[in-house]
Amino acid sequence: MSDIDAPDGDQPVWKRDFPYEAAAEEEVTRREFTRYLVLGAGTMAAGNVGLAVWTHLRSINTGEPRAIAPVAAIEVGDSYMFRYPTDDDPAVLVRLGENEIVAFSQKCTHLGCVVYYQPEEQRWHCPCHEGNFELRTGAVLSGPPTRPLGRIDVEIRDDGQIWALGRPV
Amino acid sequence: MTVSDRSRRTSSAVFVYVLVLVAFQVFLLTVAVDAFQTDHESLAWAAAAVSVTLAAAAAAFLKYLRP
Repeated sequence: MSDIDAPDGDQPVWKRDFPYEAAAEEEVTRREFTRYLVLGAGTMAAGNVGLAVWTHLRSINTGEPRAIAPVAAIEVGDSYMFRYPTDDDPAVLVRLGENEIVAFSQKCTHLGCVVYYQPEEQRWHCPCHEGNFELRTGAVLSGPPTRPLGRIDVEIRDDGQIWALGRPV
Repeated sequence: MTVSDRSRRTSSAVFVYVLVLVAFQVFLLTVAVDAFQTDHESLAWAAAAVSVTLAAAAAAFLKYLRP
């Protein structure tokens, strides 16, 4: 029998004056609360594993060979943005010479911001945290990134198109 | 200190420890999201491994919590 159900004489004064019962007034024990915490921890662990699996599945998709753009449409020194290996993956290429083209994923390896080609500096630049990458290799020049940009192999084929061949594993 | 007091304190310590473990899980989730965004696979697996270990530890501590 709870205090609220007790005869008036057995109830505390404050409960006689304010005879309200809050929702879920029954105490949640520490053990019950901790059980919820453990359930939450388990859910977050499952989420972490799911994210790791998703990251793995994305990384093994190195892409199929695909035509990107006609080489004649890109002047020497110009950049061209495209998507590879999926439509959710921004990428960018630069035509460095008549037959020299380099391409990289546009995702900065620091926190995933978009990197841009800086022709005057001859480098890739991430404006979010001032990360800089070497133009030809994608290696880190300065800033917070610790890993090089993701390279995409490209070639110019006889049909006059620039082809993306895949991402090296 | 009576046996009851000691038991209550131990129980509270376990509770706080589990709470800290769960807070750390939130941090690990943000690490995993960062790893996902930057295609950093090894970091994502490391975060998942630590997260599973912590969840198992939290479950183990629950067993010792006073009813």
